[in-house]
Amino acid sequence: MKVVGITTQQEVFIGSKDRNFRINEFLIVEDINQGDILGEVIEAHTFNRYIPLDTGRDFVDDSVLESLKALGYAIDEETIYISKVRFLNEANYPVETGSSVRIPKFSEVKDFMLKSDDENGLTLGVIRNTNDMYEDMDTEYKDLVYTFEDGSLIEQREVPYIMDIRSMHQYPHIGVFGGSGSGKSFGLRVVLEEIMKHNVPTIILDPHFEMDFSAKASYLPDEISYENKFVCLQVGKQVGVKFEDLASQDLKNLLDASSHLTDSMNNVIDVLFRNRDSLYSFQNRMNDLTESQELGSVDKILDRINSASNDEERKAWQRKKEVFEKYDKTCSYNSVKGIMWRLKRLENDGVFSKDIKAIEDNMQVGRLVVIQGNTRLLQVFSTYLLNNLYHKRRSYKDALYNKTASEYFPPFIVVTDEAHNFAPKGYDSPAKSILKEISQEGRKYGTFLILATQRPTLLDETITAQLNSKFIFRTVRASDIQTIKEETDLTSEETNRLPYLRTGDVFISSASMGRTIYGRIRAAHTESPHTENPFDELKKKSQEKNINFFEIIKDKLPVMSTDMINLAMEIEREEEIRFTVENLEMKLSEMVEKGYIKKEENFLGQKYSLIEE
Amino acid sequence: MENKLKKFNDEVKKSYGNILNLEKNNLKNFIASNIGPIYKSSKPSKEAYLNYEKLGGIIGVDGSVNRKGGASPHYVDFFRALAKSTKKQVEDRIINEIYSPILDKDMKLVLEDDGELENKRNQILSKIEVEVAIDAAKELKPFLIMMDGTFIRYIIDCKSTWEELRDVCEREKILLIGVIEDIKTHIIGSKLLEMGYTDRLSYDRELLFGRLDVGEYIVIEDSDKTRAGQLTSALMRSSNNPNIIGIDIIDTQRGRLSEMVDLIFGLTPENSRGVPIWLDIVDSEVKISHNTMEAYLESYLDSEIYERYFVETRSKR
Repeated sequence: MKVVGITTQQEVFIGSKDRNFRINEFLIVEDINQGDILGEVIEAHTFNRYIPLDTGRDFVDDSVLESLKALGYAIDEETIYISKVRFLNEANYPVETGSSVRIPKFSEVKDFMLKSDDENGLTLGVIRNTNDMYEDMDTEYKDLVYTFEDGSLIEQREVPYIMDIRSMHQYPHIGVFGGSGSGKSFGLRVVLEEIMKHNVPTIILDPHFEMDFSAKASYLPDEISYENKFVCLQVGKQVGVKFEDLASQDLKNLLDASSHLTDSMNNVIDVLFRNRDSLYSFQNRMNDLTESQELGSVDKILDRINSASNDEERKAWQRKKEVFEKYDKTCSYNSVKGIMWRLKRLENDGVFSKDIKAIEDNMQVGRLVVIQGNTRLLQVFSTYLLNNLYHKRRSYKDALYNKTASEYFPPFIVVTDEAHNFAPKGYDSPAKSILKEISQEGRKYGTFLILATQRPTLLDETITAQLNSKFIFRTVRASDIQTIKEETDLTSEETNRLPYLRTGDVFISSASMGRTIYGRIRAAHTESPHTENPFDELKKKSQEKNINFFEIIKDKLPVMSTDMINLAMEIEREEEIRFTVENLEMKLSEMVEKGYIKKEENFLGQKYSLIEE
Repeated sequence: MENKLKKFNDEVKKSYGNILNLEKNNLKNFIASNIGPIYKSSKPSKEAYLNYEKLGGIIGVDGSVNRKGGASPHYVDFFRALAKSTKKQVEDRIINEIYSPILDKDMKLVLEDDGELENKRNQILSKIEVEVAIDAAKELKPFLIMMDGTFIRYIIDCKSTWEELRDVCEREKILLIGVIEDIKTHIIGSKLLEMGYTDRLSYDRELLFGRLDVGEYIVIEDSDKTRAGQLTSALMRSSNNPNIIGIDIIDTQRGRLSEMVDLIFGLTPENSRGVPIWLDIVDSEVKISHNTMEAYLESYLDSEIYERYFVETRSKR
């Protein structure tokens, strides 16, 4: 391998007669004046001047090539390999043309590839096209991961990609971008597995109910369990909002999620809601107001006070009178009713029956907390939750700084898929302001974001700008590629490759490495609960059903079609499954069709019977 | 322009009407009875190639010339001739030459006329081609030397050197042939004219264009003075391209002509211009690019000399 052609301080072309180049591999140029210079292949070509692409010129056929070969001249040996190599650090002078080039040893490139080790970092996958360096790599970096390629599990043959988790202190936020099917969710799963390994308190907002780590991946030989490292909590079931903790804005957001709030309803909350209200006290206040508004005037309320049969009733009406006098002018009856109705709906969802204590407890012991719920509910709940947790962490740190006492709250990571739903560009959403706040000053307080989205273009720009490390999977949409171009240090050669990346291949643009790494995410240790193909599922289910049915009827065969009613009654008696005669006949003919039983016609009618072996 | 071209087309049609309309088979019959039989060549077997390789391989010889500078005499011509063996381990033989009319003492050639300079240029090129072939014949002892172009050129441009090459090849039993992409003979045409079939002389390439089948060839028995006793030629359609190529062989080796025709047929890609691939490869390697030429001049000439004599003013536009 030699440097050929015109060189610059940043880039050179390298030609070889016998070795093909691969994109992103490292090469060392041995410049006689400047010493060794490390570079990375950014373009690779092969070329044979005798087999031209140009269709206007002569095209050489096989028989001629064969005869030339027999004469001692093999044209295919004239193929040359050319690569464009960009130096990691600019050289002082343009490199000497003709300089030799060699493959580096692992020790020479280690610093550019590994900033951490398996014990202290997130072992996320392998760095592509580094197998030349595998052999002389230190054993501590070997056999760490498996990759999944073309449907089979492959042992590690490349340098591992290990992300230095400690560098998150300096570069706190991570973006995970990629179209659907690009391996993004899978990549996120691997990141989370690695985070669990380090017991970092983490919150995941999971609208898809897919971030469950209890199913061990069936393909892995090793047993790795994440039991006790994570917990799944559902909004309204295990966790909820403590009403007493709500500020009026929180409440508005919550109710708005339930159903859109009008200006007048917002006003009702501003007027009626008081800090530290309980659900009960707030509902009571609204109740009092609507009941008195139903009467319509102070006089009528006075009537009720005067005609009260006991003291308690009188007091109640007096209270209602006060409420009426105070609020009737500002709160319209319909708006108050609207608020009550929405509040009731959330209450029925169970949102107010729980609090976030379970979340905090799990975080305190360094677990990954998966918060599940439908997108709307999650949006609102997360606003409340993140505000709460972030400010706990913040006041702890601030207190530390001010040398006052405060309860310990650990640093934590916030993770979400479909991040553009939580922090959309261009319009407001409940969770956006807190995410923005964390993105901007989370570093100070040790609060980190991992935001995944398939539409980086739709993610709030302030937040995108704060994502210091980015994992970029296959992206096909032109607008998203454009965003990636603007927001990352990917070169145009790299962004041009984005639509063609294989599932699981990823560009990792990280500020801590100072360069883009082309890698492949390792095989996950766990499986998403949604990996089963729905069509396989259909098939399996119908098979199961047929087998079950066969078990029920096999002892009752043969049966005549005239005897269906008795068979149906028998099944109902024994198995407590009810069939109509029609149903039963349909089921039996399906069994015939699928080959479980056979059907014969005789003079009495149709007879269903077992197939003899 | 359109009208002019249409008119031109009509005129050509009128003048050459009977040639253009000539039936393929009629012409073939005429050739068979008046020039010589039409042969059909077949591609050599793989064993034959392996044998050729064993016998020393094939050497292709070609030359190129490229010019740097402006109008006469302020230019310099770069000549290069290359002899390249199909045997990979054998090194290429190269002869380089440069020529510039400014070194002609009395500027005689320059002042006389441009044709003379053109001749000079051809002579140098032919000479180094033959010289590199001689060198290759002596040093490499190949089975065959294949020149790019007709032998006539060498006989006209550098007779004595050519004769040396011929002698060496005869002595060393090296086959020597020339392959001509654009044939300029008019042997059939002359015959047609002579026998009164046409009223004007046609070139063989016009006559044979598309009228031979792929692999067919004829052998020309020539009575031309320069040629007599020197060489024998074959005209052949060697590819799907309707053009005809010529193959020259020295007279003493004419017994091997059919074998050589077969070999060239075998080495010519079906969908090419009809030239054996080896000559194409040699041709592409012998060329001196403009960049190389300039790099040479800039490094080895004093910049004053370079600027004064060889930099075209127009290139500074």
